[in-house]
Amino acid sequence: MAKKQHVIKGTAVRLTGADRSFYLLVDIFLWVMLFIIAIPMWSTITLSFRPNDFIGTNIEGMFLMPWNWSTAAYKALLGNNGFIMAFANSLKILVMGVTCSLLLTIPLAYVLSVQTLPGRKWLNILVIVPYIFNVGMIPSYLLVTNLGLIDKLVAVFLPGAVSTYNCIIMRSFFEGIPGELKESARIDGCTEIGVLVRIVLPLSKAIILTVGLFYGVSFWNDFFHAMLYLNRNELQPLPILLRNILMASGMNEYVEVNAFGEAPIAAIKAASVFMSAIPMILAYPFIQKYFTKGTLLGSVKG
Amino acid sequence: MKKHLLTIVAIIALLAIVALPVFAQGATEASASSASSKPVTIDLWYGAAITEAGPPPADWVGYQIIKDKLNIDLKLTALPSNESDQDVKIQAAGAANNLPDLFMVRRDAWKRLVQQGLVASVDDLYAEMPTRTAVQYDADSIAFTTINGKSYGLASPGSIIKNEGLLIRKDWLDKLGLQVPTTTDELFEVMKAFTFNDPDGNGKNDTYGFGAFIELNNYEEGLGRRFQPIYGAFGVEGTWDLNAATAGLNVRKPEMYDAMVYIKQMQDAGVIDPNWMAYKKDDFRAAWKQGKFGIMREQNAAYAATANYAPFDKNFPDGEWIVIDPPKGPTGKSSVGPYTVNYRIYAVSAKAAKEGKADAIARLLEWMSSDEGYYLLGWGVEGVNYVKDENGIPTDKGLALGFSTPNGQTVTQLRNMVFYNSDVELYARYPKYVTAVSGKTMSALDVLRDMQSRKWTPSIGCDTLPAPNADVKRFYEQGVLEFLTGKRQLTKDNWTKWVAEFDKIGGKAWEDAGIAYAKEAGLLK
Repeated sequence: MAKKQHVIKGTAVRLTGADRSFYLLVDIFLWVMLFIIAIPMWSTITLSFRPNDFIGTNIEGMFLMPWNWSTAAYKALLGNNGFIMAFANSLKILVMGVTCSLLLTIPLAYVLSVQTLPGRKWLNILVIVPYIFNVGMIPSYLLVTNLGLIDKLVAVFLPGAVSTYNCIIMRSFFEGIPGELKESARIDGCTEIGVLVRIVLPLSKAIILTVGLFYGVSFWNDFFHAMLYLNRNELQPLPILLRNILMASGMNEYVEVNAFGEAPIAAIKAASVFMSAIPMILAYPFIQKYFTKGTLLGSVKG
Repeated sequence: MKKHLLTIVAIIALLAIVALPVFAQGATEASASSASSKPVTIDLWYGAAITEAGPPPADWVGYQIIKDKLNIDLKLTALPSNESDQDVKIQAAGAANNLPDLFMVRRDAWKRLVQQGLVASVDDLYAEMPTRTAVQYDADSIAFTTINGKSYGLASPGSIIKNEGLLIRKDWLDKLGLQVPTTTDELFEVMKAFTFNDPDGNGKNDTYGFGAFIELNNYEEGLGRRFQPIYGAFGVEGTWDLNAATAGLNVRKPEMYDAMVYIKQMQDAGVIDPNWMAYKKDDFRAAWKQGKFGIMREQNAAYAATANYAPFDKNFPDGEWIVIDPPKGPTGKSSVGPYTVNYRIYAVSAKAAKEGKADAIARLLEWMSSDEGYYLLGWGVEGVNYVKDENGIPTDKGLALGFSTPNGQTVTQLRNMVFYNSDVELYARYPKYVTAVSGKTMSALDVLRDMQSRKWTPSIGCDTLPAPNADVKRFYEQGVLEFLTGKRQLTKDNWTKWVAEFDKIGGKAWEDAGIAYAKEAGLLK
């Protein structure tokens, strides 16, 4: 009887016993990690579908059969004007914020990557200093106030539109693009903007999507700046509403109803957490293949 | 060339998308400010009644009434639901001298703003709003906001006090032929009977005497709120003792050891639901609705409001909870727990006073407490959001936009600015009803009145005392649990050593700071 061989896919390497043990341990570790991640996710999902008449502990709730689930929380959220308005505001902040950030970060990173730029070293220092010494909340608030940006959605993303960290990653990526390509373009009469737009950007899809994702996640989740700079109720984005829902102290404790009708407040909380994560959950798979490439390439030099 | 042009057009379009809202919103604001030059604009940052329900709609009838009758253009901003977020927002605005005209603020943040001269005195306003002052403010509330002889805030009544009580399963007592326990010894016997004598008659050993979970706050430390009736029997309820003669931290008093011994006996005898240390609030509430235990401290509406009582009614149509007196301890002491009076402070910014808006603010607040304002802010528009029943109590039965419906709630977001726990409010909030399964008549208000009539310990201002640092807090909370779980052996000697260690790491300094604060604030009685 032929002895079963463990072979790494795509190679002809025969695994030793120690290798197999190692891979088994890695598999076990990954399964454990998967469970650690999956359990709270499953708990949140089942909680969001919990009916109002359910009686039991959270653990018992996790084993509630799907045919006993209730979609009342989702119906209540989607039927709530506040939720729709907040979702729309978050989408506006996301689109405008990512666009604005990329439009500002790409030229800056490109300029910093040009080796022949006079004063490049000082420009780099100028970019890095605010990263190390954060100005703090009050000066930022004063700046935003004096710029007249209070109660404008741009106040949420404009002060943080250029992240030094993202800029440095992008700069490193641009530095990795062979200089000969840019040189050829210049010889052919291309301006620096032309080099950036026609040569560098088409080769930088991975880093642009990666950095765009970084910006997107930070803007989508940004609670603090929205809380600080947006007073008008109709401008409140999703993180503010989410925070309010999560902070709701179980209103059915004090009154007969909660803000979302028949759905239990715990289910509303879970459903709002889940729904607010959906855009990012949807975005990741599409960007994942670029994400690894972008972060790794960007981290080689620095 | 065409591709290049397309790129340029795309970039311009994207820039336009980014820039558009800036100019669009700026234009809206500019036109609004020019149009509203006549009425006085009042910026109000309010604490929403149900934050997650959303703000009053843009076409809320209140805006127009306030403009027409008071010549005030009201701008509303809901403060964040979290108190520390509220502080951050207000302090940032204060630092930029950008505080709104009228705003709700927590006491700590308010004190800092007063010290910085950013808040105006409101002494003159009380006389300008006699109706409101009669129902909302009294000598105590004015004293609460008085610094150096001047009142710098309008303190309205906060949430309902003494709204919890010790409850016991009367049907279990009757089945086992037991009387309502009045002392800690009797309580222990009842807890044992509830645990071992099958009070629900299902033939299973699946019930316990007492149920609880750890619910801590700065004035109910240690094991927290649910154990206060036990602590009360030993005279150590609450974090603080605010009696002038014995003021200090209760954990440092010898009677605390006796209370701990009693609770340890409950633990060792197995008469307390063993999951109490792991339970969260929802688990605890699910457990009593499943009939797991027969004695607990619970809040009136969490127990008796329609939606909350319904599962218990379904599971145990013959079940019945009653409110009882807290048990008397060895020296005859008893208490449901400590209570404090809380206020919601609304402050007028110095900027608003300087701009001459104080009179308009008084006019606005006085109108809010008039019959028209009170009902409009409290329940909405009559016939749309509520109707009055035969007793004059607002009800929204059958109304599509009733004040308790998701959409109806948005028009009552300012109700905490006018409510003062009047009978009308409480009857509207806790109507009598008949339970679906057992047909019992229930009233969370009757339960509330019953709970309030029991013996409580006044501890006014205890929630404003300094909090311990993180190490002391952790040491305290972990320590008492370790004694109960057996990780530390609960002996007099060990307890004394533990208290000495507690003092050493900062417990004594915390007590000293608390007493000094209480003395200065006049909280010792």
